[in-house]
Amino acid sequence: MSETSCYILDNGAYTAKVGLSTMEPKIVPNCIMKAKSERRRPFIGSQLDECRDASGLFYILPFQKGFLINWDTQKTIWDFIFSKECCPVNFSETPLILTEPLFNFHSIQEAMTEIFFEEYECQSLLRINATDLAEYHYRKLHKNEGTVVVDSGYSFTYIVPYINGKKYKEGIRRIDVGGKVLTNHLKEILSYRQLNVMEESYVINQAKEDSCFVSHDFMGDMQITRRTGSRNTIVKDYVLPDYTTLRRGYLRDIVRPNEDLEQQTLRMNNERFSIPELLFHPSDVGIPQMGIPEAIINSIDSCPEGNKESLLENIILYGGNALFPGFRDRVFNEVRALALDHFDVNVSIAENPITYAWEGGKYLFKDPDFYSFCLTKEEYEEEGRNLAFERFDI
Amino acid sequence: MASRESGRVKDAEKRRVLDDAARKRRARKAVEALEQDNFHDDPHADLVMSKKVPKFADSNEKPTRKKKSRSAEYYKLRFRKTFGQLVEEEASFRPEPPNYLSAQAPPSKFPDRHFCAVCGFTSNYTCISCGARYCSVKCLGTHLDTRCLKWTA
Repeated sequence: MSETSCYILDNGAYTAKVGLSTMEPKIVPNCIMKAKSERRRPFIGSQLDECRDASGLFYILPFQKGFLINWDTQKTIWDFIFSKECCPVNFSETPLILTEPLFNFHSIQEAMTEIFFEEYECQSLLRINATDLAEYHYRKLHKNEGTVVVDSGYSFTYIVPYINGKKYKEGIRRIDVGGKVLTNHLKEILSYRQLNVMEESYVINQAKEDSCFVSHDFMGDMQITRRTGSRNTIVKDYVLPDYTTLRRGYLRDIVRPNEDLEQQTLRMNNERFSIPELLFHPSDVGIPQMGIPEAIINSIDSCPEGNKESLLENIILYGGNALFPGFRDRVFNEVRALALDHFDVNVSIAENPITYAWEGGKYLFKDPDFYSFCLTKEEYEEEGRNLAFERFDI
Repeated sequence: MASRESGRVKDAEKRRVLDDAARKRRARKAVEALEQDNFHDDPHADLVMSKKVPKFADSNEKPTRKKKSRSAEYYKLRFRKTFGQLVEEEASFRPEPPNYLSAQAPPSKFPDRHFCAVCGFTSNYTCISCGARYCSVKCLGTHLDTRCLKWTA
């Protein structure tokens, strides 16, 4: 039994990363969207590209708080993903690697196994945490003992220490701040201060991606944004898309009003860095949890003494929030400040933070023991769902 | 015989002050709002779906080669559980930590920072009525006019 390629589905709460291991991954929005402009048609996944006017987009997401809850939505999206329109696959010939959140609930795991064996008729299935794939990816390239994987995604941020390829469950820390909280917070403050954009999650999410950065000197940058005129080097305008001449907004310098081409803009001042700051200080919006660097230290402190050195030297950041400029340096600076002086600290960031786990799946498929991790349809039919719980360490 | 005291103190006494429970409730609501998928209602909700307009679930169900393929609706009914139910269930499957609840990051060792609820800069003052933070008399004015005791967003 050895196929030439396998199908990898990193089923994230906001985007699914999908494709055959021989191809480049596709990033498909894992949601169904409804637009005000097109009244008869919902857009499934990447069909959104066909939508002319994405203002006031209404999201229907299969995930809630990072867990798969709305199965009808997910089933519809999966049907789309596996169809010719997106990324076709024949599961009777191709093994499937499927990711799930850490500590995924028992009945969700059961449902996952059932759907893929009975509905999609998978021959062999490997359900795994996305962080496992990321760790495998990292370990393949660095040959290290311990790794701390920081996955900062849409629903939350997970910090997972691995020792010799095995996750150390006592050390797992979850911060309930992810891309969704950031977008919603940005939406909220912009709506209060400037212009009501509460209905524009999609546009404001893009505004966040285009204008936000992680500050290296938060209070110093706050002082800069207080200044007026050219002494404020941070303030910019975000030009909002109008969907006739402009499909995606962009950031530009402040121009005088008479130069204005009647474009609608949002003034981005301290918003530019106080939004990603929530990842470092969730308490700023009243979430009583540690920020990422402190949680990394807290996690490593709960690991066996002998592994701490290796863990501190191998911290890997990935997930959509790792795309904020300055993210790595800020995490490094703070972890360095918090860690004991005689340890070396090394923090690296994935080259493609969104598809890092997916790429890990590619490496895992080449592992000589790959098939021993999988569960086959025969085994499932013979032994039932309990075998899935024994084999997959979710 | 006018008593000698400042006008500000008198005004403050007249104001309604929210108790701790109400403040906590508000704070919780604000955090919950950060979890919302949409702020507005389904734009297609008022569409009357006639026979000609295919229903949402059907429209995605293309007549594929597999006839026995089950509809999305089936799976909705089959696995219907809310987040709350799942968390409760988890307690019986994984009663010992580490589990979902124990993995939550503990509160920070560092003190909370405070920012003006109006402009976002650092704040040194707290609104007497509702406990929101503000940084200047100007921002306090905005706060009183818009949000204080009349929670809008």
